[in-house]
Amino acid sequence: MSRLQLHDLQLARGGQTILEHLDGRFQDGAITALIGANGAGKSTLIAAIMGMLAPVAGRVACQVPKERRAWLPQQLALDLGFPMSVEELIMTGTWPSHGALKGYGADHYRRGREIMARLGISDLAHRQLGELSGGQRQRALIGRTLMQEAELLLLDEPFANVDIETVDVLMEVLRDMARDGATIIVVLHDLEQLSRLTDDVLLLAGGHGRWSSPEALLDHQAGVVPRAPRLPLSFPEAPHAGTA
Amino acid sequence: MPALLEALLIAPFDYGFMRRAVIAGLALSLAAPPLGVFLMLRGMSLIGDAMAHAILPGVALGFLAAGFSLPMMSLGGILSGLLVAVLAGSVSQMTGHREDAAMASFFLISLAAGVMLVSLGGSSVDLTHVLFGSILAVDSTALVLIAVIASLIVLALAVIFRALVVECLDPLFLRGQGVRGGVVHGIFLGLVVLNLTAGFQTLGTLMAVGLMMLPATTARFWSQRLEGLITIAIAIALVSSTAGLLLSYHLSLPSGPSIILLAGVAYLLSALFGRHHSLTARWRRRAAPLGTPERA
Repeated sequence: MSRLQLHDLQLARGGQTILEHLDGRFQDGAITALIGANGAGKSTLIAAIMGMLAPVAGRVACQVPKERRAWLPQQLALDLGFPMSVEELIMTGTWPSHGALKGYGADHYRRGREIMARLGISDLAHRQLGELSGGQRQRALIGRTLMQEAELLLLDEPFANVDIETVDVLMEVLRDMARDGATIIVVLHDLEQLSRLTDDVLLLAGGHGRWSSPEALLDHQAGVVPRAPRLPLSFPEAPHAGTA
Repeated sequence: MPALLEALLIAPFDYGFMRRAVIAGLALSLAAPPLGVFLMLRGMSLIGDAMAHAILPGVALGFLAAGFSLPMMSLGGILSGLLVAVLAGSVSQMTGHREDAAMASFFLISLAAGVMLVSLGGSSVDLTHVLFGSILAVDSTALVLIAVIASLIVLALAVIFRALVVECLDPLFLRGQGVRGGVVHGIFLGLVVLNLTAGFQTLGTLMAVGLMMLPATTARFWSQRLEGLITIAIAIALVSSTAGLLLSYHLSLPSGPSIILLAGVAYLLSALFGRHHSLTARWRRRAAPLGTPERA
């Protein structure tokens, strides 16, 4: 089953084609790594999947309702100086059911507390986002997507500036979400994380996309003859396994 | 002593114009500071100033058409304020000009046009009145108008509150939920314009911004939570508008500057002695010893 499919997709930004002839299906319950050099079109593809960028040609077929799609941009894209507590941030994940006006009930707060407990941030509930470390903030942001009951989750380098313990917690949570049927797409640069977490790989290079598997990619990186021949891979910043 | 207090604090309100002025001040003090808090948090503290200039030509046109009629002048102000906001927004979108640069250009044009219009149609006394306000001119109609606008702002802000908060933190999340961030932003700017047009009668077009921004920037020295910021800002506005009116009554000072200067004093004191980010807070932090290591 695949609720997210790309059909001969062509995407452009500012009149310049970034990606073309992109095909493929993201499996339900699978975690797909989106990799490629800077400028390869990862953010452009994410924007198109979120419905924020209209394709020049082709289409994105997404059966996940809009309010169940979540996009977690890199932390730098958020105004984390805004006065808001961890609990308040997580509660905004109720937007699909509550919108701008409906009040939160006791059971929603209970659910919020469960989510915080699962992410190990219960004691931070009333702390301001600006006071948190990168890892704690990332847990809170993932908490919001859990509250949102996201069925399609796109993450842009979720493990950047995040401590090792948080990486473990988040990976486990993401695997659980996938097991519950969510489609997850992660922009990653770290091969070790890629091999631990993901089921599929979509690599973007030279304006085209190519599907692969974590194993094939690792073989290629290790200098072994790749199972997928002529992989159009080039990493200007060679990823080192094991760096966090 | 009670007699003295009464003479200082209560007696001035025997006059109808003082009663109307203080109620107008209280209404504005409830509506303006929350807007100021959001402007400040979004890094748009100076936008209020720009908008204040933007309402001037409309106010002037209303004045030319109907004399000192607050409803007409307010209507003109709202229209020209919204027009400038929309123009600045669309110029920056169409040309790639930064929005603050477009805003700056438009508000300067507006200011010049407004002053020109008032000068053509009235005297320099009228100009002073429009620019700096006058409590004497708050009649019952004006008071009702101010109260209605203030209530409208508070209500509208309550409705868009959650959306506004989410949009400030993470606009993409809101967009992902199918809410156009531009709509929330537009309504918010509309409320800012409304608030300034309500404020210009007592404070003048230029000073009306003060009651919006100064309490908000002052509150930043005392709280790091949104509710705290808004509550403290409103409290500061309530105190400075009432005390400012009394000060202007007893010392025969212009009301607008008295109110804003009091808020300014609160700001300076808070910058020196506030709980967060103030000079003393900084000094305390630097002077704090590292402490002895816990156990061995």
